Amino acid sequence: MKARAELIAGIVVVAILAAGPYLSPLIHVDLSIVSEVLVTALAVMSVNLLLGYTGLPAFGNAAYFGLGAYGAALSAKYLHVDFIGAVIIGTASALLGGLILAPFLLRRRGIYFGLLSIAFGQVFYFVAYRFTDVTGGEDGMNFPRPLVLGHYAINETTFFYVALAAFVGCLIAFRTVVRSPFGRTLVAIRQNEARVRYLGLNTDRFIFVALLISATLAGLGGALFGLLINFAYPLELDWHQSGFFVLMMILGGAGTVWGSLVGSFIYVIGKDIISTQTSYWQLYLGGLFVACVLAFPRGILGTLLARLNARPAAADSEPHG
Amino acid sequence: MTHDLAPQLFNGLVLGAFYGIVAIGLSLIMNLTGTINMAHGSFMTLAGYLAYTMVQRGMSFWVALIVAPLIVVIVGVLVERGLVRPLYKREPFYSLLMTFGLSLMAEEAFRLIWGPNGVPFSPPPALAGAAALGFMSFPTFRIFIAGVLIVAIVALALFLTRTRFGLRLRAAVQDTEMIAALGTNTQVLYAVNFGLGILLAGIAGVLAAGMLGLSPTSGNALLMPAFVTVIIGGMGSLFGSIVGGLLIGMAISLTTLFIPAASEVAMYILMAIVLLVRPRGLFGEEGIFG
Amino acid sequence: MDSAMMLEARGVSKFFGGVKAVDEVSIGVREGSIHAVIGPNGAGKTTFFNTLSGFYFPDSGRVTYRGSEITRLANWKRIVLGMGRTFQTPSVFAELTVRENVMLGVRARAGVAFRLRPPAGEERETLEHRVDELLGFVNLGRSKERLVAELSHGGQRLCEIAMSLSTEPSLVLLDEPMAGLAETETDRIITVIRDLRQRLGLTVLFVEHNMRVVLSLAERITVLDRGKVLAEGTPSEIAANEIVRDAYLGKEALDHV
Ligand SMILES: Nc1ncnc2c1ncn2[C@@H]1O[C@H](COP(=O)(O)OP(=O)(O)O)[C@@H](O)[C@H]1O
Ligand SMILES: [Mg+2]
Repeated sequence: MKARAELIAGIVVVAILAAGPYLSPLIHVDLSIVSEVLVTALAVMSVNLLLGYTGLPAFGNAAYFGLGAYGAALSAKYLHVDFIGAVIIGTASALLGGLILAPFLLRRRGIYFGLLSIAFGQVFYFVAYRFTDVTGGEDGMNFPRPLVLGHYAINETTFFYVALAAFVGCLIAFRTVVRSPFGRTLVAIRQNEARVRYLGLNTDRFIFVALLISATLAGLGGALFGLLINFAYPLELDWHQSGFFVLMMILGGAGTVWGSLVGSFIYVIGKDIISTQTSYWQLYLGGLFVACVLAFPRGILGTLLARLNARPAAADSEPHG
Repeated sequence: MTHDLAPQLFNGLVLGAFYGIVAIGLSLIMNLTGTINMAHGSFMTLAGYLAYTMVQRGMSFWVALIVAPLIVVIVGVLVERGLVRPLYKREPFYSLLMTFGLSLMAEEAFRLIWGPNGVPFSPPPALAGAAALGFMSFPTFRIFIAGVLIVAIVALALFLTRTRFGLRLRAAVQDTEMIAALGTNTQVLYAVNFGLGILLAGIAGVLAAGMLGLSPTSGNALLMPAFVTVIIGGMGSLFGSIVGGLLIGMAISLTTLFIPAASEVAMYILMAIVLLVRPRGLFGEEGIFG
Repeated sequence: MDSAMMLEARGVSKFFGGVKAVDEVSIGVREGSIHAVIGPNGAGKTTFFNTLSGFYFPDSGRVTYRGSEITRLANWKRIVLGMGRTFQTPSVFAELTVRENVMLGVRARAGVAFRLRPPAGEERETLEHRVDELLGFVNLGRSKERLVAELSHGGQRLCEIAMSLSTEPSLVLLDEPMAGLAETETDRIITVIRDLRQRLGLTVLFVEHNMRVVLSLAERITVLDRGKVLAEGTPSEIAANEIVRDAYLGKEALDHV
């Protein structure tokens, strides 16, 4: 019953999204902004896996996002790889970044994990910021969007469908992961890690894999984001950006599969609309943080789902077995 | 180049003392309440701007140096009571997000009130110029800063080890519930602790404004080195924060001298090395995982 | 070393700052026995359990399990070796149902916890059957689909015991399994502890305050006081021990036995 309802809702949402090229003019939003919603949602998902499901304050995921963007940008500009190659290299760079940071992050939990995430994430920011010759430094780097297989150009509409396909693919993969025995164990770790260890499970191993999945997701999002705007800049890697991802996750609903899309949608579209109306976007954004934390800590989907089945979202029940 | 070494090392120490004192403030707040105060830099900036305005209005630098941090402490305690305290029962990342939001708003507010660019804030004439110290001469203001920071650190150490309240504070960091059971008013403890952290930020903020410049983001520039300081020194160790701060200050000023492009990255490399050798930082305590 | 020893500690110490929570404690738990650790509040019982189970490592001393040293072995590996434990405050997954709690352990034991594909078909049946069996053992079958947070204190204790059993241990450490329970609930736990040995053949080491329970259940008793072993022996030896009587038990507690 519930699974059926979710499937129908999912199909409806994807169908509406697929009509994006026709719908976005109606709300006076550029199609590229809707693409941004989709690729940003991947980064939000990556935070959700660590923070929403596993309970690790992932305040450094912008590093993976930025690594994805720079990986794509640098490989397109200097190695002249094609579109697919840029996506793969960008994503792989983020995965590599995750592999390098994991041994440090794995050692700690709680706020210390958050502190380490922030600090280590910032390394990549300064590298991008300082290696001006290669990365363009503070100004960022432009690059032409590479062709697919060196032949086929990707226009905004095609790009949108690429982003949509990536989003749907990742969403299905994400859902599979969080509902699997592996994912249920992550949720258990969030609730009571000591107990999980006393079930004979090496929680470090679970967290390690979760970190790598998270880095990969964020990296894919970042690579596509870089290719979307044909530009990479250091602030993508900055801890502020990590904080925005966390905000989006909370907005949508921590520990919910679809929350990432909801949060990303509100944030990206909201930013697009508000920042054209006022130059004080940051004031509103800060206010949004405060309001969200005080008044809406479970986010939109979290609150909705809790109403529906009276259970905390990330703990939502699984099919027997 | 070597004749630059001594002044640069001295600069490193002063810078390090800044990082140390900001890190101690962060640590106090973090240890007692689990809050990573992302608005810590904003409190520093606010103190700088308040001092700047006071001096502009004709007040003396010395008055500003004392009054501005106190005003910021009042703001800080109000923020703690009104906005942060309701979050203590929740997972700690909520208070991180809260203070992050506050810092975004504060930054924009600074821009609105004091303009988007930096403002000049120079030390008073008495502290201008240079003083001979041994065979080298150093800017008087930096020597003064070093003096104030040392006094502040010693005063804090005395407060925490010699006064009843300070001892309770330290005990509370170990075990909040036990202290509550002993009848200490934890609400007051939280407020004083937060205020103390902000007071250190405020003093550092005024001094940093004179030495490192004052702009809407100038305080935030000290935030990341302070985080790294806490990590290197070991969370929960105030002594570690001082040692960590000085180490980073030296590392940064030495790389600035020899490899300027790597000056920011230097502290992260130092952090990585320390963590590889001592996963809990130089003076950190053992935890249950790992 | 005695091969019949399930768990041995030799001179185990653990300090917290200046506090010697556990001070040179030695103990030998025989295979198949029910062994109790008693002592006043703050005696170091929980800390001792924590060093035995690897919650943290002792500052000095040695711990061996079935003759092999485990002093600094990661806690989860001890579970794989065959140890299980419960905590003084029930340590459960409050947001999950009773069934899901136990299933986590059953999956861990079956080696499927790390998988992405949920078990299906026969495998699933086997796992579900095992959960039912464990819940039956602690008599929680009727609460299977309830959230653990909704259970009584005693219910949560039983759920935690079922979870500890799900990893098929040979030795279980129970930290004050009866603290804060009503009389009827206490009797339920007593039955379960007896069954642990009689029906499942497990070795049990437990902390308990209630002397009536300890003297009727345990074959050996170790008395801790201020981090040190005050006495060790059979229930009758302990009941007769003057030092124990003076230091801790109080005459009435024993005269009622
Ligand atoms: N994590 C800890 N940090 C500091 N002191 C502790 C800690 N755990 C226990 N203690 C201290 O160690 C002593 C023994 O405590 P505990 O093992 O809990 O006793 P028991 O379980 O026998 O009541 C007590 O004085 C307690 O305050
Ligand atoms: Mg105890």
